[in-house]
Amino acid sequence: MSGPGPADFIKGRAFDPPLARGFRPQASTAEKDPRTEPGALADPVVADAVVRLNRVTKTFNGSGPGTTALREVSIEVLPGEMVLLLGPSGSGKTTLLTLAAGLARPTAGSVTLFGRCVEHTPASELQRLRAKSIGFVFQTFLLIDALTAEENVALALRFAGGRRSERAGKARRLFYDLDIAPLARRLPRTMSQGEKQRVAIARALANDPALVLADEPTGSLETRQGFDVIRLLHGQAKARNAALIVASHDLRLKEFADRTLRLQDGALTGM
Amino acid sequence: MYAFRTLRGQPLRLALTVGGVASCIVLMFFLLAVYRGAADGSVEYVRRNTADAWVLQKNATNILRGSSLVAAAQAEGIGRLPGVRSVASVLLLLSTLGKGGEARTIFLAGYEPEKGLGGPPELARGRTVRTDGEIVLDAAFARKFGFKTGDAVDLQGRRLEVVGLSRGTNAFVIQYAFVTLRFARTLVGIPGLATCFLVTAEAGADADAIRGRIRSGFPALEAYSQVEFLANNIREMRSGFLPLLYTVAALGAVVLTVILSLLLSVNILERRKDFAVLKILGSPLGFLWGLVVKQAILIATLSQAAAIVVFFPLAAVIERVAPEVSLKSSAGQILTVALAVELMSLGSSLVSIRRLRRIYYMEVFS
Repeated sequence: MSGPGPADFIKGRAFDPPLARGFRPQASTAEKDPRTEPGALADPVVADAVVRLNRVTKTFNGSGPGTTALREVSIEVLPGEMVLLLGPSGSGKTTLLTLAAGLARPTAGSVTLFGRCVEHTPASELQRLRAKSIGFVFQTFLLIDALTAEENVALALRFAGGRRSERAGKARRLFYDLDIAPLARRLPRTMSQGEKQRVAIARALANDPALVLADEPTGSLETRQGFDVIRLLHGQAKARNAALIVASHDLRLKEFADRTLRLQDGALTGM
Repeated sequence: MYAFRTLRGQPLRLALTVGGVASCIVLMFFLLAVYRGAADGSVEYVRRNTADAWVLQKNATNILRGSSLVAAAQAEGIGRLPGVRSVASVLLLLSTLGKGGEARTIFLAGYEPEKGLGGPPELARGRTVRTDGEIVLDAAFARKFGFKTGDAVDLQGRRLEVVGLSRGTNAFVIQYAFVTLRFARTLVGIPGLATCFLVTAEAGADADAIRGRIRSGFPALEAYSQVEFLANNIREMRSGFLPLLYTVAALGAVVLTVILSLLLSVNILERRKDFAVLKILGSPLGFLWGLVVKQAILIATLSQAAAIVVFFPLAAVIERVAPEVSLKSSAGQILTVALAVELMSLGSSLVSIRRLRRIYYMEVFS
């Protein structure tokens, strides 16, 4: 499990200081409809952003009054960049991740994913986009219990369109790359939490994603395991030049992040 | 792979489901086998007594559920028609057979053994009757009530010896027995009475023309060809049997579909996080549907295998315990049920697939 430490990546990063990009002060956009505001969407700070949220608001409408989970949030994430979303439970981190993944559509504002406007992209295309270009890591790993580690990874490869004959080999290579080859034939129930999360990372990386989204990836792990896992995830994302967005309330992860954004009650409150 | 492993992960539930579905399939096998057995038993008598004309009272179309009384004297007149080689009279009546103080109902066929028509279609043991003091019993009837060749039985106060046991004479609800025509008439008490005549034509004679002559010469009679008369009896048998068969089979099919739908739905609900994760990972909806359909087909196939393993020994036991239940199965029946079960499993998976739509991405996030 050896690999570059977080400091190596921070020192060695070859892109712009992350704090210069993405975050927009909320006060300046209040009371404005981004869809009608001239220039609001046609003003990308960086043209090749993997994902861009522009003044995004997300409201969930239940039987009672709606709950606003995100309020006019604007961020951009570049290839190879790790953005850490910090905030307490209910602050909107997960909602932001689902919007960034194209799993949900904004109530207001716009989400651009790999240059495509999510609001105007058919669900089937978003599904293909997720399969081919996005990797997911969850707090509770969410491996398929009935399948071995290798089969879990092969399944993601299948969705990404990998040939049947190549899937197993590619999954095996990934297990070697991630130094978890001994886990390949094991079922998730026989693994430790840390092992499960490593396999989950392998699954997230199987399709060589341009964007990796991790929701509390260390939330179910002990301190040391959590550190190892985030180091692995961070290192692999960097090695693939994949954008990585991590939602967490674990302050230690700041050490790995190129940028840290704080969310409070659905709004970005600082960096 | 996932479809099978998920099912295998809950072995008890899988076993119960396969057991439930297999029971429904066994029920279907059983119904079809009973139907086939009863159908054969009901019409075998007509099928195997091949005549060029079956002559009955006008408007009587069959011998299963129709009443026909004809005067035996007419047989002589028919026998004189051009082209007719022989006329065999048969008297069919319900009677009761006694042994040890108990009476059993039988469908008694009185026939003329010397003419070679109207008797048992096939003998399982012994010989046909030769004299008035003899009787041939259906083999299933004899097995059920403990009769065997050489036994003496009491038929409406007359003592007869069992000289043979017949096959193809078990009509499920009633079984045939065979005596001489003369003896049968003594039971009725009306001389010169018959139910029908079996007419054979001389070699080269036109059977159609003979039937036409019978109709024109004997306006109170109807003459059917072998094919027509067999079809009439089959139709009559089906009209009495098939509605019941269809009703019970439909109930079995509904139970099977419900069991499968329930299991698949529960499986989806229990695995909803898996399904949500698969959706998030970019699984096409068709893949998820495929999982459910595969599970349904797997359960159906396992259940069919279990049903086949169980059915044949069970059928043997049933026939031993209840010999009058004649079960006849064929590869065609098994394949028909197999196809129907696969279709039902597809139907149940379609019912369950609707649940997939109600699984949302957000369910998997912390």
